[in-house]
Amino acid sequence: METLSLLMDGFAVALTPTTLFLAVIGCILGTIIGALPGLGPSNGVAILIPLAFSLGLDATASLVLMTSVYYGAMYGGRISSILLNIPGDEPALMTTLDGYPMAKAGRAGDALVLSGVASFVGALLATFGLILLAPVLARLAYKFGPAEYFALYILAFSTLGGIASKNQAKAAIAACIGLGISMIGIDNNTSIVRFTYGNLHLYDGVDFLVAIVGLFAVTEVFVFIESHGKDSAIGVKLGKITIPVNDILLCKWAMLRSTLIGFVAGILPGAGASLGSFLSYSAEKAIVKDNSMFGKGDPRGVAAPEAGNNAAAGGALIPMLTLGVPGSGTTAVLLALLMTLNITPGPTLFTDRPDVVWGLIASLLIANVVLLVLNVPMVKFFVRILMVPPWVLLPGVTMVSFVGIYSLSGSTFDLLMMIGFGAMGFFLRKLDVPTVPIILGILLGNRMEDNLRRAMVISDGDWTFLFSSWIAIGFWAAAILGFVGPMFLRGVLKKPVPPTD
Amino acid sequence: MSDRIFGLVILIVALGYIFSATLIQTSFLSDPVGSKTFPYIIGGCAIVAALVVMWKPETDPYWPPAITFVRLGLAVIVLVGYDYTLKPLGFIIPTTLASGLLSYQISPRRLPAVLTGVGLSVGLFAVFKFALGLGLYAFPKAWF
Amino acid sequence: MNTIFKRFAAGLIVSASLTTSAMAAECIAPANPGGGWDFTCRTIGKIMYDIGAVDAPIQVTNMAGGGGGLAYSTVVNERNDDEDLIVAASSATATRLAQNAYGGMTADQVRFLGAIGADPGVIAVAADSPYKTLTDLLDAVKADPKSVTFAGGSAVGGFDHIKVLMALGRAGFNDIRAVKYIGLDGGGDAITQAIGGHVQAVTGDMSEVVGFLKSGDIRVLAAFTDERIPGFEDIPTAKEQGIDVVAVNWRGLYVPKGISDEAYQKWSDALAKVAASDEWHEAMVSHGLAPFTKVGPDFQNYVNGVIGEIAQLSRDIGVIK
Repeated sequence: METLSLLMDGFAVALTPTTLFLAVIGCILGTIIGALPGLGPSNGVAILIPLAFSLGLDATASLVLMTSVYYGAMYGGRISSILLNIPGDEPALMTTLDGYPMAKAGRAGDALVLSGVASFVGALLATFGLILLAPVLARLAYKFGPAEYFALYILAFSTLGGIASKNQAKAAIAACIGLGISMIGIDNNTSIVRFTYGNLHLYDGVDFLVAIVGLFAVTEVFVFIESHGKDSAIGVKLGKITIPVNDILLCKWAMLRSTLIGFVAGILPGAGASLGSFLSYSAEKAIVKDNSMFGKGDPRGVAAPEAGNNAAAGGALIPMLTLGVPGSGTTAVLLALLMTLNITPGPTLFTDRPDVVWGLIASLLIANVVLLVLNVPMVKFFVRILMVPPWVLLPGVTMVSFVGIYSLSGSTFDLLMMIGFGAMGFFLRKLDVPTVPIILGILLGNRMEDNLRRAMVISDGDWTFLFSSWIAIGFWAAAILGFVGPMFLRGVLKKPVPPTD
Repeated sequence: MSDRIFGLVILIVALGYIFSATLIQTSFLSDPVGSKTFPYIIGGCAIVAALVVMWKPETDPYWPPAITFVRLGLAVIVLVGYDYTLKPLGFIIPTTLASGLLSYQISPRRLPAVLTGVGLSVGLFAVFKFALGLGLYAFPKAWF
Repeated sequence: MNTIFKRFAAGLIVSASLTTSAMAAECIAPANPGGGWDFTCRTIGKIMYDIGAVDAPIQVTNMAGGGGGLAYSTVVNERNDDEDLIVAASSATATRLAQNAYGGMTADQVRFLGAIGADPGVIAVAADSPYKTLTDLLDAVKADPKSVTFAGGSAVGGFDHIKVLMALGRAGFNDIRAVKYIGLDGGGDAITQAIGGHVQAVTGDMSEVVGFLKSGDIRVLAAFTDERIPGFEDIPTAKEQGIDVVAVNWRGLYVPKGISDEAYQKWSDALAKVAASDEWHEAMVSHGLAPFTKVGPDFQNYVNGVIGEIAQLSRDIGVIK
């Protein structure tokens, strides 16, 4: 009951005409930022922080604006994934797998509405989780040491074989490309640089946004120049836009399961939103009885990652608020914002500054509802993007991508790498090599190595340390029994299918 | 055949990667795994996967005629040129040229391409500058 | 409603004109948003404008790369005479310059402007740890280096790591290779690992441990300061415990080498005004920073001294050849 009254106080702070207006503005800006390739939630929030200052907003108003932008960007990322096969940011990556095929089949509107609802469900339930369980769940992060994180990453990679590719060897090559790229830069454990060949731009490694935008947006342009738009969603005749009630009902369990997975991934500082959406998708594919449509436009393949990544965004606020540990790039920026507002997150934040915490939670709920209300009617507007002639749309997307990446670091070198990734993506796509594992490798490679090496430092090189806790053993078991084992068994059980198929 | 060539390229790159990893300096501190182990594992996995791909190649994809590759090469040149001129020349001029040229490559009609270039550069500049507040310059700094 | 809309519109115009106005100065935070450098730029920049030390709001640019090396080389090579530019710096900048981690660039290629606050270095353990004093902990390492793993928010060879090695060196333990240290992504991460029992001790900055100290999850064994930290008088210094190490993470700024002495003076004055302001004192308290004001040539000398010391130490422990 105390929680409820605190929440009501939060609403009292957050529900004024001024803040509501800011929430609407924030949601719209966030959606746009999320949808633009290269501009993700983290730089969106970072770009807008000075705006909050120049407006002279107080702490609550700034928080409302920024959280609306944060959630808005999480919602917005799916739009370009579905319509253009270009993820607006890294958590929206998995949505391309089934969202774009749906759009190609003329069901762009359905996919957008469905993913909007899934995002809402994921974010809303995660916010309730945050309200009820934050102080308790923060303790979960304590249980995760290097051995547990390493096992979690092993689980993530073992699910790769099931994703997007008919050919496991090609998925493995893609993962190796990503992992290999992630090794570039300063090695955290020795401060020695690796694979930089003296280039200062490479010292911090290759930014995954550069890879995503290159492999998806730039590649898309090359593919278009080759094919002149055959087999793309642009110009496809669109069905009438209705609320796809059947799809939403079909996906209700997918959404709930994915919310849980995403939420837990969000709570762990070493996992974050992208791992949340990734694991949600592969778990869903493994769980459902008939998964033959996954990758070809299965609505559950759209609902699962969207519910997962939005739940993870909510979950990630828990370690950020209670431990001061940001679980993702975006929460790192929100953390910075709180610090500039003279609010230091940590274990005592909930008791020291209940006004801030509950104001924030109330503004999350508000942002969520505003986004749902804005998004569903706006679908009609979004799908019109597909009616823009390709000779305007594609140059436009390219320029947006360039400016997005350019705004990250102002570096010509990053743009060159992006073009390189685009060219590589063209050949990989021709050869039917999936690109998702490359991004996953770049995102997780360093953390995977760091955690392995930290574990070995702690245990003095004793490999059994990796299996020293039940959490770690559970992840290993899930990886082997759930994903690696079936891959080989499938070959044994169904004789006609060769093992590499 | 394409898969065999792809496998071979990956094989060579992976070997080069492993060779490059042998050159990483070793550290003197307490670190049982070291800086080289993980790159070795990655290179090793890539070699195995590349051999599998070469062993069991899939059917060839459709490769476009040579002229298409020329056009793709031109697109790369346009993008690289855009990259190098964005900083010194400001946003408007390079964006007009690059988006106009790309537009022309997708649909070879002059007037729509010119309009696309001008429209996109001005429109996007307005969005980036005024709605999102990015620190872009419209024209070369020297003009002021 | 109407007024907020007007303010919003005005804000858009302000933020739009920020980037083109000749008066607007820029503060480069050489890292992504969220870290100490970002805090330095945003807080100092905001206060400078709020108290009228500069005419226009200061625009913050995040230029992550090479642990600050990219920003450093940009300033040295491309903006050497830009008088409207300040760059956030800290002990990490000095450490990397000392360890030649900026690709051969040296500390004398910029002018250090000043520091106006410092985050005291601390060593902490989980609340249920058997180690009650710094001496307990260091003795345990001396007896069996394998029994203690330190976690910190900086990479191996970084400032958090060096603090531990300095303390162990003063305690008479010199087998550097045997000391177990893991570098995590930030102080909060390191503390989480200690509370979870995955590592035995944390080396970090005061600001990183304050929340966990208040909640009773950790115990701070020592602060690497001359005097006890104001507001935390029950935390003993390392000096009191016979370990003569002073290591603070100062927060400050540098400016390009080629600017005029007038411009340097102008920025020094502005920074000194911030240091004296109430707003800055508030920000320091809420971020666990201790007073540490050195501005102008005085600060330049201090930085040179620190860099010399770290370079010597890094050679001793083999981080640089």
